[in-house]
Amino acid sequence: MDAKLKETILNPIFKGNPITVLVLGICSALAVTVEMKGACVMALSVIAVTGLSSLVCSLIRKTIPNRVRIIIQLVVVALMVILVDQFLKAFAYSVAKQLSVYIGLIITNCIVMGRIEAYALMNKPIPSLLDGLANGAGYGIILIIVAFFRELLGSGTLFGYPVLSALGYVNNGLAILPPMALIILGCIIWAQRAIQKDLQEK
Amino acid sequence: MESISLIVKSIFVDNMVFSYFLGMCSYLAVSKNVKTANGLGVAVIFVLLVTLPINYLLYENVLKPGALAWVSESMASVDLSFLSFIVFIATIAAITQIVEMVVEKFAPALYSSLGIYLPLIAVNCAILGGSLFMQNKDFVNVGEAGAYAFGSGIGWWMAIVALAAIREKMAYANVPAPLKGLGITFITVGLMGMAFMAFMGISL
Amino acid sequence: MNTNSNTYTVIYTTVVCVLVAAILAFVSQLLGPMQQANEKAETIRQILAAAQFAEKSEWDSKSNDEVLTFYKENVEKAYTIGQDGQENGTLDIANVEIYKTSDLKAENYNIKDESKASEIALPVYRFKNGISVIPIYGAGLWGAVWGYIAFEANLNTIAGAYFDHDSETPGLGGKIKDDPAFRAQFNGKNIDYAAESIFAIVKGGAPEGQCNAIDAITGATITSAGLNDAINTWLEAYKNMLNR
Repeated sequence: MDAKLKETILNPIFKGNPITVLVLGICSALAVTVEMKGACVMALSVIAVTGLSSLVCSLIRKTIPNRVRIIIQLVVVALMVILVDQFLKAFAYSVAKQLSVYIGLIITNCIVMGRIEAYALMNKPIPSLLDGLANGAGYGIILIIVAFFRELLGSGTLFGYPVLSALGYVNNGLAILPPMALIILGCIIWAQRAIQKDLQEK
Repeated sequence: MESISLIVKSIFVDNMVFSYFLGMCSYLAVSKNVKTANGLGVAVIFVLLVTLPINYLLYENVLKPGALAWVSESMASVDLSFLSFIVFIATIAAITQIVEMVVEKFAPALYSSLGIYLPLIAVNCAILGGSLFMQNKDFVNVGEAGAYAFGSGIGWWMAIVALAAIREKMAYANVPAPLKGLGITFITVGLMGMAFMAFMGISL
Repeated sequence: MNTNSNTYTVIYTTVVCVLVAAILAFVSQLLGPMQQANEKAETIRQILAAAQFAEKSEWDSKSNDEVLTFYKENVEKAYTIGQDGQENGTLDIANVEIYKTSDLKAENYNIKDESKASEIALPVYRFKNGISVIPIYGAGLWGAVWGYIAFEANLNTIAGAYFDHDSETPGLGGKIKDDPAFRAQFNGKNIDYAAESIFAIVKGGAPEGQCNAIDAITGATITSAGLNDAINTWLEAYKNMLNR
């Protein structure tokens, strides 16, 4: 059982990474990877939301009628996100303002729905929670790697602090535009599959 | 005439995939061959065409600030627009579920090849994006909203069929083994996106 | 139990929807007052940042009460004007009566709808040091963009500006709020009612020496254009007050 749990946690971070292997959640990966700060906030929010909504959906999995399961899942996810936002707005307003940008992106992030469909509806609450958290983390890691290259090459900064620009680097505007995110993702997949030979497609 | 320019604009200039990078997940995953890509593309056109006018009517008559004035004078000050997000997504989820049932019943082959991605149309950001953009576009009537939905859908369909065609040809190319499949697809989409940037800024 | 029967499905969906709606309504009732107080203080922080009393980050580090007190002490007059530019209402300073974002949104509908011209009541906040602040509101790429523009006592030179948004892309459109260099471009510029556009945010860079234009944000064409529209629409509405 222990080995299985460990597998549940470690698998999504590298071997079964939601972005590079399962191809889920690409839209938001493109939108928020222009700078490191945004990518980190998004990564943390997604980890929280995937974990919580997988847990809740797993708890009620036996009662959900099959035909309306998508609506129920969406309602649960939207409820989670809106509740978190409401509480933050009352007690930590500046955090809430940062997060509010991402709320739409989180609800429609297919990782959340994908994990509920593929895992939480068939497994017990605790493994589902871990699966959700781990998938969020696997997603976050890729976001941060892409954001690292885009901010460094596009603005010459990291977390807003000048790094390359201090050395007289001329910013490459292409890195800011969305196509570059796709190309960097392609390269990350290339690197990952060069190491993990069994992931290669024939 | 307005509608025609709106359709052309949303196919090329405001292409859902290449200008806004919406609906990428299913776009990348279901573009291995032209036939399934075509199936999903048509499904997206259909869902957009149905949900966008419904959401438009809901927004105009229920959600917009002052929209409830038709119920009674006292309701004129009610502003329900904070609910628009959850209402839009609920409409979309319901319509998707209906499409899923219809496809399962009448085209089981298509159903089995679209697999997990059909339910995921509900979270396809192209569909929700269409409804959210609609809020800002000030369409004058349902017809314009429908034309916008049609154009966006065609744009998405065209993009996925084009990518699927490229991927079919690429099967014969000599791509480095780790880059094969997903990796080269990402880079291809990036290059297609750059090409489509040429349409940006064209006013119709 | 048969979880796939029609009756069960309908009842289940109804119960879930009612439950979720009840939770949301309860929470928003419970937290509403606190959220509104936060929103009000945030609006004042933005107005004060636009008027260049201090950077926005400095106001963020102060408590809500401190911000409200500073506002009450330094504002000379807060009032509303109609379409003719004449005063048609006062905003109570002691109670910190201001226009929140939702009020700006409602006013934006009035500005755009010609039949409502008589109902327009646009806010002006005049401070004791002669600076007047007016709001702007419009649509960006994903949602609303709004902000505040502060004018010197001559009501033509821009003293400063602050912008905010609902959900623009962080790092691209989000720069209207996050990039101090973008906002700093406004300082010292003028507005020109005789020109083609009163104020212009120019894609690809403003022409050298043009005093009513600034550079747009690279990679955020639609947000920049939306902000440009918002500024011009609202400046047009304030025409009879500012164009003298």
